[in-house]
Amino acid sequence: MSQETGQAQQPKLKWGVVHIYSSYNNIIVHVTDLTGAETIARASGGMFVDAGRLEPTPYAGMRAAAYAMEQAKQAGINAVHIRVRAPGGVKSITPGPATQAAIRTIARLGVMIGRIEDVTPIPHDSVRKKGGRRGRRV
Amino acid sequence: MGYFGGEGFTGTSFVVNIPRERVGVLVGTNGSVKREIEQRLGVVLSIDSQTGTVVINLAKPVHEGGDPAALFKARDIVTAIGRGFSPERAFKLFEENTMLSVVDITDHVGRSANNLIRVRARLIGTGGKTRRIIEENCHVEISIYGDTVAIIGDYNDVKAAEEAVITLIKGAPHGAVYRMVDEYARRRKTGGLVRPF
Repeated sequence: MSQETGQAQQPKLKWGVVHIYSSYNNIIVHVTDLTGAETIARASGGMFVDAGRLEPTPYAGMRAAAYAMEQAKQAGINAVHIRVRAPGGVKSITPGPATQAAIRTIARLGVMIGRIEDVTPIPHDSVRKKGGRRGRRV
Repeated sequence: MGYFGGEGFTGTSFVVNIPRERVGVLVGTNGSVKREIEQRLGVVLSIDSQTGTVVINLAKPVHEGGDPAALFKARDIVTAIGRGFSPERAFKLFEENTMLSVVDITDHVGRSANNLIRVRARLIGTGGKTRRIIEENCHVEISIYGDTVAIIGDYNDVKAAEEAVITLIKGAPHGAVYRMVDEYARRRKTGGLVRPF
């Protein structure tokens, strides 16, 4: 990590984009280059916890972010933009519980952080929500 | 960490629109509410009182110790106050693991004014009975304002309350919803809270 710091102080920054997709069932941390077309690293909550219900927890988010960023650092990324996304559309437009933990972890890793954006797809008008007229029946 | 703005470094800002009549609440007496949000989260709020547009920025950049997650918190708090919560209740969002959810009533019923008033009345209940029952059983705060229902609480609690509210909006009898939240409260208490939604 100390080598990285040395590099970053010179204006030679290698930018990446961290896409965080956070739903109520999982979190996916995906590091790409600036175009978004080339994957550098990715991790999901399910890689670090066993039970499905633990996948969206802050702990899983923290581990996933740390793992993906570690790989990205090895690939030479030392500055990132963060794009946070919830399922959006007709589903939930608020990011899940793991988001904040993931963002904090990335901030503490010592990489430079550029923009932080919320890129949840917001419909201007949309199709019908799933579940039917009588709603979800448990 | 000793990074100083390389090129391409731009601050990040979130924009929230709130109703003009809520701007005064967001600012508070002599700016007290605004100041508290700014100090506790390390953000800067620029409020346009003509249009109700609030721009949220980090007070200091991330590399100087600004917490990017605070931006999301600040956005939730401003939205909550815009959606009818009093500052005291909205400040519950400062705690970790709390979230805000906004349910739009017009997503589920038509836009006719009479219908909206009827649904809103059903959600609140006589003397606030329905709202109180949902709030107490799910341990959430609920604000019904205009065409929206805003809910503050823990993730699982909010999900349960949201489901109860949507069921009510769609026309379920109150008794069924009371049973639903009552059962949720029981599971919550016994710790058998595996999948509440």
